[in-house]
Amino acid sequence: MAAARHHRSSRGLLSQRSLALDEPAARPQILTAPVLKRLWFCIYLPNLALEASGPGDEARVVVEEQHGIHRVLLASAKAESAGIMPGQSANAALALLPMLRVEPRNEVVEQQALEHLSSWLEQFTSLVCFAGSGVLLVEIAGSLRLYGGLLSLRQQIAAGLEQQGFNASLAIAPTPLAATWLARSGRRACIREPANLAAALRTLSLACLDWPNVVCESLTGMGVRNIGDCLRLPRDGFARRFGPQRLIELDRALGRLPDPRTGWRAPERFCADYEMTEEQSDRELLLAICRELLLSLERFLLTRQLGVQSILFTFFHLRNSATQLRLGCANAERLTDRWFDLLRIRFEKLTLPEPVISVRLRGGHTQALRAESGRLRFQGKALVQGHGPCFSMTQLAERLVARVGDHSVAGVTTVAEHRPQLAWRSQDLLPGKTAKTLSTIKSGLRRPLWMLPEPALLPVDAGYPLHQGRLKILEGPERLETGWWDEDGIARDYYTAVNPCGMRLWVFRNRNRNASWYLHGFFG
Amino acid sequence: MRRDSSSLDKLLENPRVWRGHSQVHATTGLASGYEALDRHLPGGGWPQCSLTEILVEHYGVGELRLLMPALAQLSAEDGSTDYAEPGWIAWVAPPFQPYPPALQQWGINLSRMLIVRPKDDSEMLWSAEQALSSGTCAAVLLWPDVLDDQAGRRLQLAAEKGNSWGIAFRPPAARAEPSAAALRIELQAGGEGTRLSILKSRGGRPAVLHVLL
Repeated sequence: MAAARHHRSSRGLLSQRSLALDEPAARPQILTAPVLKRLWFCIYLPNLALEASGPGDEARVVVEEQHGIHRVLLASAKAESAGIMPGQSANAALALLPMLRVEPRNEVVEQQALEHLSSWLEQFTSLVCFAGSGVLLVEIAGSLRLYGGLLSLRQQIAAGLEQQGFNASLAIAPTPLAATWLARSGRRACIREPANLAAALRTLSLACLDWPNVVCESLTGMGVRNIGDCLRLPRDGFARRFGPQRLIELDRALGRLPDPRTGWRAPERFCADYEMTEEQSDRELLLAICRELLLSLERFLLTRQLGVQSILFTFFHLRNSATQLRLGCANAERLTDRWFDLLRIRFEKLTLPEPVISVRLRGGHTQALRAESGRLRFQGKALVQGHGPCFSMTQLAERLVARVGDHSVAGVTTVAEHRPQLAWRSQDLLPGKTAKTLSTIKSGLRRPLWMLPEPALLPVDAGYPLHQGRLKILEGPERLETGWWDEDGIARDYYTAVNPCGMRLWVFRNRNRNASWYLHGFFG
Repeated sequence: MRRDSSSLDKLLENPRVWRGHSQVHATTGLASGYEALDRHLPGGGWPQCSLTEILVEHYGVGELRLLMPALAQLSAEDGSTDYAEPGWIAWVAPPFQPYPPALQQWGINLSRMLIVRPKDDSEMLWSAEQALSSGTCAAVLLWPDVLDDQAGRRLQLAAEKGNSWGIAFRPPAARAEPSAAALRIELQAGGEGTRLSILKSRGGRPAVLHVLL
């Protein structure tokens, strides 16, 4: 029994924990890390240079300069049918097909296409790696069950690639290098057991290895044509002639040596452009484009369980400098509808100097989304009786801020301070930031409901202060003599007064310098 | 005689006969805190889910004091309201700064205060409409420069939609203008207390009373 438990405990943390609960006096045990069985799915895109620059089935070639001559790197199917072959000079290709579209290779676009593809692949796995030009490696051992087995997962990925217009060669193997080589060879190989690796790799030609030409040529000169031949060579001699790196690669491919890979991480900031073929000034259309961008922002955030608090729209014009529109939310948000709602409010007032040629959406810093529990239906009068859509205070505040401006929407709180003009301040409306009111004023003191931003000097007639008539003092004085420790010290006598119109005023008289009367508030 | 009363009943059953009292909502009003006023208001208090207009010449004659007990009740945190959480009180374009210490003395929950300072009249009306229809604000106070018939009607509809209480402060000159508000009150301060005239009250009758504010 004890032996069986001991055996079980070394398998995983969970069983070990339960064991510790069973036996409080368990001896400390040495845990060996469980051996992770990995399965690598390699996607090799042989035509990436052609496909990255966009879809299209017309005759076109991608050329690359080699020794001063532009040579064809890749030709589309239509161009190939006209007899254009990779390796031809661009001039020869044009002679064969004068209508041919010749494009220089753009590695930036290729990289972007790979990144785009990687972010799409992230839905299948948490580990996507770049491995050389046009090669993506995806670790799938952990995803098999979720995606209904190897075959189904493979089909899903293959279908997705085809839909995005990529011609891919796929291979599955327990080591990343073996998967890469098999994919380069163009075989639709699927090897699950490391024991079967050697047999599958044996027949692969040296061209699949992506080794330097010098090495391949010298190996071919020795009569070595495939990996099986390489493996048959004496190890020390092979390492001496071609460098230890090649031997390590072979060992890694066969699973004799570990081959750790670092996964690619998508950028944590969203940025997307929408380019238009011609200038647009139709605002409805521009809004629809913005909505499209917001939808892709939502997808981006959804896969990462993130939200953003601010986004920036940039509308590019042909001649004028770009127009920017920044939107902010009180909380990290990802829902398209919320953003679109705010956008519409702001877009109404946005003036575009000229038609727009391209729109860019940039997300701010991403934050983890904090889920908020919604109100139940029976809670709240508004929800039960309301006819229209009801939104929370945060949403209302966001909408108001979007239209009226940031500093025009605020809450208030009191401050423990005797000087009346300092006894309060505005405060943020954001939930979580609203501080509880700290100070309470003594109930005996009379304070007006309306406060003037600055005390107003009152004219005086025969010793009586005037405000639409002679003032009559009702109550007072309340002496406030405080703040001598800073610049704004006051020494005032406050009175409650009433004028002939029935207005109740809060007036004061300075005690020190001049005895003039000031109006400071209304009792409302 | 008997036959007469039955024919009267018959006549009253006719759907084409309109009777003013049928307009009275079954809902009770929000107690204003001033008994004399409550007695004159249908439902025994401020009409909720609608627009109230207060016509006042000068600020400071008690126009806020009139509302304070009701607003304190709306923003209270002790669960005495029907809202799941205490309702917000929005102040749209107030003429001066509402002074928090005084509001606190009146029992207003300061953490439920929202002050909006729009730049112009159209923004003011938009903000008020948003606040009224949001379903979050229990009361929305606004000080419009002009409030035409159409804008008033929009605010009234927004208040109905969001179950909110809109209170518009307007000059007495607006008395002659038609209004969609459910309740119109004019305040006149004098030496002997404030004279409060109910100009229009949906389901009630015009009246003049003196309230000690």
